[in-house]
Amino acid sequence: MDWIKRLRRRIRILLTRSRVEREMDEEMRLHIEMEIEDLVRNGMNREEARREALVRFGGVERYKEQGRDARGVRWLVDMGQDFRYATRTFRKNPGYTFVAALTLALGIGATTAIFSVVDGVLLKPLPYDKPGQLMIIAERYSSSILRPLSVVDYQAIQAQQRTLDSVSGLARGRAFLTGGDQSERVIVGRVTADWFNTLGVHPAEGRGFRPGEDSPGAERVVVVTHAFRERYFGRGADVVGRTLLLDGESHTLVGVLPRGVESLAGWRAEIWPVLQLQPPTRRGPFFLVAIARLRGGISQQEAARDLAQVSERIYAQWAESFQDREARLTPIPLRDLVLGNVGSALVLLFGAVVFVLLIALANVANLSLARATTREREVALRTSLGATRGRLVRQLLVESTTLAALGGIAGLLLSVIALDALITMGPRLPRLDEVGLDGRVLAFTALVTVISGVLFGLAPLVHGISSDLGGALRGGGGAGSQGKRSKAARGALVTAEFALALPLLVGAALLFTSLERLQRVDVGIDADGVLAARASLPPSKYSDGESVTRFWVSALPELAELPGVEAVGISTGIPPDDPGMTNNFDLVDRPVSPGSPQPVVPWLLVSPGFFDALGVRLLRGRLPDETDGLDDPEVAAVSARWAARFFPGEEVLGRQLFVGGNTTSPVTVVGVVSNVKYDGLASVDESAVYKSYTQGTWRSLNLLVRSRGNSVTAAQLRSRLQALDPDVALADVQTMRDKLATSVARPRYWATLVGIFAGVGLALAAVGIYGMLSYFVSRQQRDIGIRMAMGAEPSSVRRMVIGRGMVQAVLGLGAGLAGALLVTRWLEGLLFEVSPTDPATFGSVSLLLLGVALAACYLPARRATKVDPVRVLTEE
Amino acid sequence: MARSKADLLQGTLDMLILKTLALGKLHGWGISKRIREMSRDVLEVNQGSLYPALYRLEDRGLIEAEWGISPEGRRAKFYSLTGSGKKALREERRSWELFSEAVQLILQTTQ
Repeated sequence: MDWIKRLRRRIRILLTRSRVEREMDEEMRLHIEMEIEDLVRNGMNREEARREALVRFGGVERYKEQGRDARGVRWLVDMGQDFRYATRTFRKNPGYTFVAALTLALGIGATTAIFSVVDGVLLKPLPYDKPGQLMIIAERYSSSILRPLSVVDYQAIQAQQRTLDSVSGLARGRAFLTGGDQSERVIVGRVTADWFNTLGVHPAEGRGFRPGEDSPGAERVVVVTHAFRERYFGRGADVVGRTLLLDGESHTLVGVLPRGVESLAGWRAEIWPVLQLQPPTRRGPFFLVAIARLRGGISQQEAARDLAQVSERIYAQWAESFQDREARLTPIPLRDLVLGNVGSALVLLFGAVVFVLLIALANVANLSLARATTREREVALRTSLGATRGRLVRQLLVESTTLAALGGIAGLLLSVIALDALITMGPRLPRLDEVGLDGRVLAFTALVTVISGVLFGLAPLVHGISSDLGGALRGGGGAGSQGKRSKAARGALVTAEFALALPLLVGAALLFTSLERLQRVDVGIDADGVLAARASLPPSKYSDGESVTRFWVSALPELAELPGVEAVGISTGIPPDDPGMTNNFDLVDRPVSPGSPQPVVPWLLVSPGFFDALGVRLLRGRLPDETDGLDDPEVAAVSARWAARFFPGEEVLGRQLFVGGNTTSPVTVVGVVSNVKYDGLASVDESAVYKSYTQGTWRSLNLLVRSRGNSVTAAQLRSRLQALDPDVALADVQTMRDKLATSVARPRYWATLVGIFAGVGLALAAVGIYGMLSYFVSRQQRDIGIRMAMGAEPSSVRRMVIGRGMVQAVLGLGAGLAGALLVTRWLEGLLFEVSPTDPATFGSVSLLLLGVALAACYLPARRATKVDPVRVLTEE
Repeated sequence: MARSKADLLQGTLDMLILKTLALGKLHGWGISKRIREMSRDVLEVNQGSLYPALYRLEDRGLIEAEWGISPEGRRAKFYSLTGSGKKALREERRSWELFSEAVQLILQTTQ
C-alpha cells in the first residue's frame, strides 16, 4: 500500500514538476531571508548577514539537485530535461543533426530493407503446419544428382515406408483452360489426394481431396486459389460444385484455398487438379515431386535409412528399365527445396548491409566525438555545478538515442522505398510474397536504432568526460586542448571505416567480375535478331504425334513467309538453361557394366530450322528432319562435345545408342553440330543429342524466329498460328537477348546490391576521413600558422595533413585486406571463374580505396595551406 | 567533537528532524534553528543539507508538508510528523539508545 501512495505522489510531482521546482526555490529563498533577518537582529549589518547566510546555507543549486534526487523521480525528470536539452542542441546545430541523422537513416534504412527480405524468405518458418517435419523425397543418383520420382518410386514408398505420417505427390505443369470467354493456359499443380493434409493447408471453402479420388477412373476434382476464383468467377460467386474444362476434360471444383496461399511447396499454381496415377509399365519417367511428413519423433536420418531399403527393393524389381543400383530415395527438408541456393546469397547480403551500418555508425561517432571536444567547456561547467559523471553519461546517451531515433524513423521511410525497389526490380525469389514490413521487422528496426544510439553515444565518453576538466576550463576551446585520446579514437574510427569498406568493395568487385565473365560465356548461339516464345497445342485436339507433326509441317512454312523472317524452328529445350528433357542412354558399341549408371545428357526434339534460327552449325553428316517419321528408324545429331566425350578421335557417324533403358531399337547418329549450353552459363559439359520433332510427341514447344533487325512481333506470330488453329496458345514471348540476360538476373541482382552497399560504404568512409582532417586543420590553425611563419612551404604543410589522413587509410586498408581474405570465401558458391582471393581484384580495389582516400584528404590539406599566419597568431 | 560537523550521519539528521517535528509543525528555517538550539550549536551543518533530508522523509511518508503563514506573516511551507513518522522516531530512538549505551559501555571499559 505504501508504495502505491509513493508512486502516486511521484506521478503527481512529475506532472506538476514546474510547481515543485518553484516551491523548492521559494522555500530555500525564504530560509535564507529568515537567516539574514535573524543575523541582523543579532547585530550584523545587512550586507555581512547576507554573505554569512549564504555561506551557512551552502550551495543552493547543489541542494536542489540533491532534493530532486531525494524525491525519487530524478531519472525521469532528468530524462525529460535531457531530451529537451538534446532537441535544443539539435536545433542549434542543424548541420550536424542533418548529416548525422541522414547517415544513420541510410544505414538503418538499408539494414531494415534487407532484414525484411532475409526474415520473410529465410527466418520465418514455412507457412505450413509443423514445417520442420516436411521433407521432399528425391532420387539421389550415384553421380549425386537429385531428380524427381517416378510412379514406381512413389507407390513403393506408400506401400513400404515405416517412418512417414503421409506422403503425397505433385506433378508440375500447364493446362489449357477452356469454356470461358477464350481459352487460356494456366499453371497447374496436379497432386495426389493426401497433398493438402500432408502440408496442413486446408481449403477455406469447400473441401480438399478424399482418399481414392486419385485413383484412375474416379471423378476428376480440383481445388483453386482464392485469386483464381476472384479473377475467373468474380468476387463472392458461389463456386463449389462448378465445372472447369482443363485440357478438354471436365473437372469438378470442390474447394478454394485460403486467401494469400499462392504457392505450395515452392510451386506457384492457380489450379490444383487431383493427380490420378496410371499403373506403371517401367521404372520411369521421373516427374513426381514427393512431399512427405515425418512421423513424430523420427529424424531425417532414420527416414533416409528406411527409404534406402525401399530403394533396394525397387531396384531389384525394375532393374531392366533402370540401371543405377546406387540411386537412393533421399529425404531433404522442404525448406531447402523452396529456398534453393538463395539462402547463402541473402546471408551474404545481410552481412554486407551490416558493414554499411557499422561504417555509418563510425561516421556518426566521429561527428559526435568532434562535437564532444568542442563541448569540453560545457561539460566542465556542468560538472562544477554539481552534475555527476553518471548524469553526464546519461545526458549524452539520451542525446545519441534521440538522434538515432530520428535516423531510425527516416530510415524506416527509406526502407519502404528500398524494399519496394528490391521486390519489384529484382528477379523472382522464392517466398517473396511473404516479405513485408511487419511487426518483426519493426521490432528489429527499433532494436538496431537503440543499439546504434548507444554505440555511437558511447564514443564521446572515451574522451569527453574523463579528460581534465579544470584544464578544459582554463585552456578554452582553442588549439592544444584536444585530448590525445580523442585524436586516437577519431583516427581509429576512420581506420575502422576503411577496414569495413574494403571487404565490401572486394566482394562487389568479385561479384561483378564473375558476372562479366558469366555474360561473356559463349552459349554457342547467335542470339541477335531471335525471338523466342512458348507455343502449345491443346491436347484435346492433338492427341497423337501425327496430328502434332501435321500442324507444324504446315505452320512452320507459313511463319517463314512473314516479312523479314530468315529462319523458323521449334524445339523442346532452349539455351541457356532449359534442356526441356534429359535422357540416359547406353552406347551399343561399348555398354556400361551392369548396375553402374548410364550417362545422362540434354535430349532435344527439334525441327531443322532450329539450328538456322540460333546459328548452330552442322559440322558433319546431316540434320534429323521431317523425313524421319514416327515409323522410320530413329536418328539423331549429337553435339561436337558429345562426339569428343564418347568417341574421342574416332568416327561418330553411324554409331548407335539405346535410350532410356530400351534395348531393342537403337538410335543412330547421323550428324554432328556445334556446341550449345543447356544447363546454365556456368555448366561445363555441352554434350547434347537432337532428334527430329517428328519422332516424338510434344504439344508444348519453344518457337524460335530469326528475323532481320528482330522485326517480327509476337502479334504477327500469334495471328498466323491462330489462323491455322484458334486454340494455339503463345506465351513467354521474349527476345533471345533478354532470355540470356534473364539467366544472369540473380547474379546481377546480388552484384548490384553489394555494389550499391560498397559504394555507400566507400562514400561514408571518404566523408569520415574528410571530416577528421577538416576538423584537424581547423583545430591546428595556430600550429600550421607558426610553421608557415617559420618558413614552411605550403607543399610540406599539405604533405603533413595528407600524411595524417593517409596513415589511417593505409592502416584501414591493411586491416580490411586481412578481413577480406577471411570473408570472401563465403562468396565462393556465387562466383564463376573468379577466385575469392583473386589478386588482381584485391589489388585494383586497394588502389581505388587509396585513390578515394587521397582525394578526400586533398581538400582539407589545401585549406591548410591557405592559413594566414598573421591572422592566426594575432588572434589570441 | 570538532569533526561531528562534517561527519554528521544522514540517519542522525533524519532522526533530529523527526525529533524536532515531534514537538509541533515547523518550516524549514525553524527546524534548522531548533536543531542548532537543541544541540547548542555543536551540530551545525550547512543549512541547505536540511532540504534534501526533508524531501527524502516526505517521500518516505514520515513527514508531510503544507503551505501556511508563519508567525512573522510570511508564506512558508510547514512540515509535520505523520503516524508512521512517529513510529519511525520511536524505533530510531530505541536503536539510538542501544547504540549510545553500547558506546558508553565501551568507553567505560577502556577507561
